[in-house]
Amino acid sequence: MAEDLYSVLGVAKTASAGDVTKAYRKLAKKLHPDLNPGDKAAEEKFKQVAQAYSILNDPDKRGQYDRGDIDASGQERPQERYYREYAGGPQGARYHSTAGYEDIGAFSDLFGDVFSGGAGMRGARGGGGRFAMRGQDAQYRLDISFLDAVNGTKQRITLPDGGTLDVTIPPGVSEGQVLRLKGKGMPGGGEGPPGDALVEIAVKLHPVFNRDGNDIVVEVPIGVDEAVLGGKIEVPTITGRVAVTVPPGSNTGQTLRLKGRGVKSKTGAGDQLVRLSVMLPETIDDDLKSFAEDWRKTHAYDPRRKLKEQA
Amino acid sequence: MASEQDVIARVQHLTVTRLRVWVAQGLIKPADEDAPSFSEADIARAALISNLEDELGFAEEDVPVLLNLIDQIHGLRSELRGLLEALDDLPADVRTTVRMRIERRRRG
Repeated sequence: MAEDLYSVLGVAKTASAGDVTKAYRKLAKKLHPDLNPGDKAAEEKFKQVAQAYSILNDPDKRGQYDRGDIDASGQERPQERYYREYAGGPQGARYHSTAGYEDIGAFSDLFGDVFSGGAGMRGARGGGGRFAMRGQDAQYRLDISFLDAVNGTKQRITLPDGGTLDVTIPPGVSEGQVLRLKGKGMPGGGEGPPGDALVEIAVKLHPVFNRDGNDIVVEVPIGVDEAVLGGKIEVPTITGRVAVTVPPGSNTGQTLRLKGRGVKSKTGAGDQLVRLSVMLPETIDDDLKSFAEDWRKTHAYDPRRKLKEQA
Repeated sequence: MASEQDVIARVQHLTVTRLRVWVAQGLIKPADEDAPSFSEADIARAALISNLEDELGFAEEDVPVLLNLIDQIHGLRSELRGLLEALDDLPADVRTTVRMRIERRRRG
């Protein structure tokens, strides 16, 4: 502590004893550790101020300091134990006041229970064990459509007791997933918080869309002409129809990937996979039949060549 | 636990009269009113009151106001700590959600 004691208190070397005390009190009121619990910087500053005052307030020591007989550190004051060191412990608990924030309880059931319950219990038991039992969890099951599961939605469950529970379903929820609604279960005992509502999600199947993680898989039939010549086709996605270009020579089993058209969930965004399937017309007319006959004569091919090689 | 005499011996500038006034005012709550015994917290509290009046020069009638505010702060700090410890027991994603909600509130 090499700092000048007078400048620590912010007074002149010629300041009267009264001015020194006045300056000390002004600083100490601002910095006292019990008026600033948890503020380390204020505590450090307070120590310096108290140290300076302990020397400058004593006419003998002040004289010694002015003459240079003692330095700014003087003698170390014995470390005081502040009230705040006990205030947080069990001995201090009985002094805790909760009177000043009962209004907070009006905003939140959680705080209301914890605070107002806490004050009464403590008074009665002198800081001993508090009665608190968390309420039980309540379990529900919710059936939702495939598209609601994929895109997210809000649903209201009607409870057996006639109450309702609003459930926000996040996009990308999957079959069997359990949503936890904090504090929406059974009420707690004493100061205990209520339990949670656990909502198990059941997703209905969709006739067209299938899900593979965050990817959506759709099987889309194309005509023989579209398979051979290529072309633009319309494909359903979970957010509406989109136009997709089928390249010439597309075959059954080939997959087109529509980037970013899958499920957008917390774990990322998926794609839609369009699995092509070549479909003959429902009735084979004479034209197609004679074309196939002619075409076979000159362009015969073996579609099972690979199959024969492998088995 | 300490007796009245122990407290007076340990706290500078303290007299029996002053200590009894504080107890009567409810500023200090010893365990047994008839044969008062004081905990370390009570002694530190007596030292604080003495300090506020003598060293810092607060007026006597202001000290109960100060103590009331200090008690409210410690009550709040204790509840807040309990809340934070309860939060600590929750899964990480829940804690993150809470933190994000708090930040959103701060931004208004």
